[in-house]
Amino acid sequence: MRPFHPAYILEVLPQLIPYLLVTAEMVIGTVFFGSLFGLLLAAAKIRKRKVGAALANLYIYLTRCVPSIVLLFIVYYGLPEFLLWFGININDASKGFFVITTFSILFSANMAEGFRSAYEAIDKGQREAAVSIGLTEFQAFRRIVLPQCIRVVIPNFTNSLISLMKEGSLAYTIGLIDIMGKGQLIIGQNQGSYSLEVYLALFLLYWALTILVEKGFGALELQLSRGRNGQVYTEVRKCS
Amino acid sequence: MQLDTAFMWTTFLDVLHGIPTTLKLTIITLLLSSPIGFFMALSKSSGWGIARRIITVYVSFIRGTPVVLQILFLYSLLPTTLNYIIRNVLGLSFNIFRTDPIIYAYIVFTLNTTAVLSEVFRSALSTVPAGQLEAALSIGLNARQAYVRIILPQALTAALPNLCNASVNLLKSTSLAFMMTVKDVTAIAKIDASFGYNYLEAYLVIFFVYILLCSLVQLLFHLLEHALSSYKNTAAQRHEKNAASAYRRHMASAR
Repeated sequence: MRPFHPAYILEVLPQLIPYLLVTAEMVIGTVFFGSLFGLLLAAAKIRKRKVGAALANLYIYLTRCVPSIVLLFIVYYGLPEFLLWFGININDASKGFFVITTFSILFSANMAEGFRSAYEAIDKGQREAAVSIGLTEFQAFRRIVLPQCIRVVIPNFTNSLISLMKEGSLAYTIGLIDIMGKGQLIIGQNQGSYSLEVYLALFLLYWALTILVEKGFGALELQLSRGRNGQVYTEVRKCS
Repeated sequence: MQLDTAFMWTTFLDVLHGIPTTLKLTIITLLLSSPIGFFMALSKSSGWGIARRIITVYVSFIRGTPVVLQILFLYSLLPTTLNYIIRNVLGLSFNIFRTDPIIYAYIVFTLNTTAVLSEVFRSALSTVPAGQLEAALSIGLNARQAYVRIILPQALTAALPNLCNASVNLLKSTSLAFMMTVKDVTAIAKIDASFGYNYLEAYLVIFFVYILLCSLVQLLFHLLEHALSSYKNTAAQRHEKNAASAYRRHMASAR
């Protein structure tokens, strides 16, 4: 039976927490680039030009089939050599670059489906009605269609974000020092002892992050759905 | 970029020996966690308070933490703990360190997939209208018969798309089993690569094998969905639909 010191969990937590910043950077970078590319993919699927839609579908199918750790290593070992073909040298790029590239590829495929279904969930009549009362095409999109799309896409986005956070923990395998990487370093410094305590601390951090994201976006969704099905009136009535 | 195609071919042939391990991990995990997940879903919808709360926390915990962390944690906890229990509590001289590490993989992936499947089954059960159970009980079936014959077939059909997703995700996460020294597809390719540092080629081979396996799983579920949803279009059902529309027409004309 290996020794277990619950107090060490509290000792190790403050050492891990600063590295949440690295995890957050990774997540925010991935969400940014992944969403941009996801929008392109969704557009390709929505416009239904044969080649574009087929390429988008193939891309989504392939990324759905690849385990993240395998893609991470393909990007880590393959991308520098691939870009060297075009005379671009990224051999001294930071680890974060490869992590964000990998997870953007995965995230974009997840989000493309979400964006597409959100776009299709909004009734065409919404845009037509907005244009008919004198809004320009852009105003109609920004004020009428987009807010409704955002509300519909939130559950999908939350799921993708949570799986990104969890899969992102694999980044330590190529040497990124996020909370997971720092945890592994601490275990290494102690020659493998205290591993259970460090893992438990990491469990707590990841669990808290997931719950935070779930609750936060749940509240946002509720906030954005006000006004639907007469919810405003029930809220007003509750207040008075 | 120069890919060593000869190496990729020999690695591909080597990796084929790992496919049974990967499939075994996926299938046995699914077989173990499906019934547990199903009963968790049932007791979450009808069980007593304390069981429901424990299941909720368990599902939230498993789904809120990375698989890799669960693997690392259990792989550093289980062997020594099991050894202690076998030696000191049960008093046996059985050497746990000599057993195939795949049992740890089964344990980790079953714990993980059970939580996922319990959510899948819960949402599937909620798609079966309550009237189905009431109708089954009212014609004299007992609760077990009602569930096995009426509720389960409908819930399973509704669960298939999500079940397919869960299976694909499980298949993908078995690629982490190499961390527990299980010799699956990933582990074999990595070992081959380590001799000549051909990691890129090895990972491309793994990618290719996973595309094949994922396509296989998706094809199987597609066929299964087709076969299971056939009940939706039986003669009785067609007759029922016709009768309903005839009744509606009759009511409309009577009005």
